[in-house]
Amino acid sequence: MSFKTTLARVAARSARFILSRVLKREGAQLPGRIALAIDARFVEHMAGFLGQGVLVTCGTNGKTTTNNIVADALQKAGFSVVCNRSGANMAPGVAACLLDAKGCDWAVLEVDELSCKTLLEQLKPRAMLLLNLFRDQLDRAGEIDTIQAVLAEALTKTPETVLVCNADDPMSYNVALLSGVPCVFFGVEEEVASAQERVPEARFCQVCGEALTYRFRTYAQLGDYNCPRGDFSRPALQYGVTRICLESQGFSCAISGPDDTLFLSVGFGGLYMVYNVAGAYALSRLAGASDEAFVVAVQEYAPQNGRLQKYEIDGRDIVLNLAKNPTGFNQNISLMEVDAREKVAYFVINDNYNDGRDISWIYDVDFERLNDEQGLICFVGGTRALDMVVRLKYAGITSEVANNVSEVLAAAPDARPVYVLTNYSALWPKKAELDEMQKHHARDVCKKEAERG
Amino acid sequence: MAKAELTILHLFPELLNLYGDTGNMLVLEKRLAWRGMQAHIIPVSLGQSIDLSSADIVFVGGGSDREQGIVGEELVKHTADFKAYAKDGGVLLAVCGGYQLLGHEYSLGENKLSGLGLLDIYTVRKTPRLIGNIACTTELFSQDVVGYENHGGRTYLGSDVTPFARVLHGFGNDGASGFEGARANRVIGTYIHGPLLPKNPELADWLLSQALERKGLDPVLSPLDDTAEKRANEYAAKLS
Repeated sequence: MSFKTTLARVAARSARFILSRVLKREGAQLPGRIALAIDARFVEHMAGFLGQGVLVTCGTNGKTTTNNIVADALQKAGFSVVCNRSGANMAPGVAACLLDAKGCDWAVLEVDELSCKTLLEQLKPRAMLLLNLFRDQLDRAGEIDTIQAVLAEALTKTPETVLVCNADDPMSYNVALLSGVPCVFFGVEEEVASAQERVPEARFCQVCGEALTYRFRTYAQLGDYNCPRGDFSRPALQYGVTRICLESQGFSCAISGPDDTLFLSVGFGGLYMVYNVAGAYALSRLAGASDEAFVVAVQEYAPQNGRLQKYEIDGRDIVLNLAKNPTGFNQNISLMEVDAREKVAYFVINDNYNDGRDISWIYDVDFERLNDEQGLICFVGGTRALDMVVRLKYAGITSEVANNVSEVLAAAPDARPVYVLTNYSALWPKKAELDEMQKHHARDVCKKEAERG
Repeated sequence: MAKAELTILHLFPELLNLYGDTGNMLVLEKRLAWRGMQAHIIPVSLGQSIDLSSADIVFVGGGSDREQGIVGEELVKHTADFKAYAKDGGVLLAVCGGYQLLGHEYSLGENKLSGLGLLDIYTVRKTPRLIGNIACTTELFSQDVVGYENHGGRTYLGSDVTPFARVLHGFGNDGASGFEGARANRVIGTYIHGPLLPKNPELADWLLSQALERKGLDPVLSPLDDTAEKRANEYAAKLS
């Protein structure tokens, strides 16, 4: 290790020690910033110490969950792994994660799409999983075309990286075509019975611009597509999902890979999660994890990062999930639909920098579908709560502003499950509040049991 | 008696819906319905005929430069119809990319897109993009017109057009003139993109009222409870 890299590592580790032990804070970013300030190529230098190499997860929605499942599967398979589990996915977060890379087999990293521009050539991933590309944060990230170009160009600089690509997404498949790297494709093999979004996004041939036709669609622009002019169609799948059955708490499916077929029952998520799991499976297999390790990883997976995280507080089920763009929100509404109980929804929308300052996209969310929910009670929060009141008003839904989850619980009838859906910067405060409530609740239960005993 | 009905053409929603532009259709539809009237919204796709003779309101949304190029080519085929519609007092609202297409031309480096020429304006793409919250004022309305803008184009006004509004904060047409958008008779173009109407109910009602008047119907709209819209408007007006 060069002197610079050593110094960067020591300084960053010290900072992390102080942050976590003394200040009791999670050091997901600052140590990374320090390391990068001392050694600008810190990521590249540290990645070189990995026994096996780097795996990257990328895409608009589902990075954190998917990446964590891959990391779990590799650990279950006996590999030592570093992973940016909390989702800090820009250069400082990746650098902080690699502080512990030395002596490890794999770094399993989720990387922000635009950050791939500089990070991929340093990480030289053995494989990169591209989950999907949806419209998100147009003011920060630009249009999807821009992101496609960034990813394709970054990949051309790492020609040995295998791209594990969602074939059902024409936007992602185009990155595969443009990049020229070796590809493994995953997708859904057969039509899925599920509630369709009111206005499926029209998508166009990435070569000639003609409207794509679909043998079937799954959600958003995903499905088995082809251009009527014949110059662009979904490629053959190496990992094809069949027998999808969506249930109120998760789904079951079969994933047929090159070697065998895996039957899976997954206790969380909806149709979008089918893709996340299929992508995670393909990537895990490429990295040498067994079917058994993958199954255990999925079955034991209990999100603790605000992604579809479940709480039980005072006998009430509370689900916290990230919903930061129209597609993500629509998938969350689908999740609510499969839960037949009368429920409470709390939508929290902020407009901070990392959310995207522009919240126009709330008009692309199909909130109208909530009219089918019997007895739904709606609350809104965040810096743009007033915009949400108007959005829901025009969807035919009355809502009230609530500043936090406690206010929602106080105002909503007992026992109804609460769905807390937030965009990016609103997620952590709500998670902190719910974690705290659950801790208190657990303490109260213990106390009562002690008194009884 | 049959319900009063307005026919609203939504041009190329599949291409020009970059930022929740359909929210505008929703607002027009609801604000008519709440007053016992009906909106007949016709989404017009690329290649379909555009029947302006039956239209009471036309809406054009925003798209990326690539999509705008496709749309621009299609639109200019109908230039004569659009000019007749505007001359006859037809109501038209265009936001962002749609606004640029209402002008004489839009220069993108070496490329030039011809526009409809409904507004005496022209647009030149420059860097940087002008991005952020915007609030502006017009004598048409008591509340500020608020929203979000994100455009590379700088739009310059000729002598046959008035600015739609004056910028309070934000960039507007070119980041320098203090003008935002352009208006000629009942044709309005603005850089405030996406869902413009939800937070600007006065503008929504102005469009409806103008369309009713042109159709020979009572243009006076019964008041609605706009508390939620007004609060969101006031909040947005303070965002920088």
